[in-house]
Amino acid sequence: MTCSTPIAWEDLVLYWAGDLAPEQVERLDEHLMGCAPCSAESARVSAVVEGLRELIPPVVTRVALARLRARGTRIEENTFSPGRQQVVFRRGVDVLVHRLAGFDLSGAERVRVAVRVESTGVLLVEDPNAPFDAQDGVLIACQQHFADLPPDILIEVSAIDASGAERTAKYSIPHVFEH
Amino acid sequence: MGTATACCSISPARLGSNPVFLRATLPLVMIANIADEDLVLRIAQGDHQHEAETELCRRFGPRVRLYGLRHLHSEDLAADLVQSVLLAVLEATRAGRIEEASHLDRFILGTCRNIAHRVREREARSTPMEAAALEPHTRLVEPSFERIDVGALLNCLGRLDARARSVILLSFQSESGTDEIAKLLETSVGNIRVLRHRALADLRGCLDGVGGARA
Repeated sequence: MTCSTPIAWEDLVLYWAGDLAPEQVERLDEHLMGCAPCSAESARVSAVVEGLRELIPPVVTRVALARLRARGTRIEENTFSPGRQQVVFRRGVDVLVHRLAGFDLSGAERVRVAVRVESTGVLLVEDPNAPFDAQDGVLIACQQHFADLPPDILIEVSAIDASGAERTAKYSIPHVFEH
Repeated sequence: MGTATACCSISPARLGSNPVFLRATLPLVMIANIADEDLVLRIAQGDHQHEAETELCRRFGPRVRLYGLRHLHSEDLAADLVQSVLLAVLEATRAGRIEEASHLDRFILGTCRNIAHRVREREARSTPMEAAALEPHTRLVEPSFERIDVGALLNCLGRLDARARSVILLSFQSESGTDEIAKLLETSVGNIRVLRHRALADLRGCLDGVGGARA
């Protein structure tokens, strides 16, 4: 079965990103409900989008952690100050939370977090507007499947104030995963 | 259930006067290839009704689920929507309440919109009275949904360049608007859209290549 007027990939992505006007969404809804090939292609976009939504973000809030605990996620928490400190991801733990403290965030308008491989400088994740709490610091959710990544992790936390001035703290955290 | 907007009915007399319909005895293996209109007529007439209902659910269940995911933003609510919509549609079809059988898709979309609207307003209440009779069909749509393996997804995310990865994570994890992402990354809205659809295509290709999907 083929479609004579297939919906472009770009439009499907706009649809799933919530980036279309309501009347455009209605038009796509109508096409998708009546068209098997386009519906199948939309499902391929949706599967990736849903997969992304289900990922636990690398920077989390206390509220998100409470929600995860309520769902049965086994969480262990460690506190770090800027500098170098090894961490062991123990067997049986689902999420290892790194609380990045010891860095004054009281004047920060926003916080940027970058996670890199320390030995190569390769950027793994960057959140330009990471959630933070001036007292609690920044919470990084390290997950079991990160065991596939290089173990030498460097986390840079940058506090940007209202004037745009930026201060950065570095947390070098070599990871050991228990198997 | 009463949520579908039925128009006028297909009367038994009208069905009975259709000689093509009366004589329709396609082999069961052909049921997957028959038009939506024929499915509606078979269900209403009770001709291979079980097979026709199963095919209707197989055909439209995944599309209703996608509608639910897009508009209700929840896997659980989408699954509930599939059940509610298919029950309502089968009920209407059995009762001959679908006026334009050739536009079954429009009837189903209308039912989706009505029920999703009620769900959003916390007014939806399912009526499981006839669920026992219909569940065997509606349940059939569940197992085939693609699930993405988290490890493979992270691996593929790691292959994107940092900017594309930020756009993807901000779009679908932080649920930031396109304008907001453009401002954060100091670029244009148009550029964000291009980066996003290209990155998503790269992710999809990567997942297809590394077997990132599981049933």
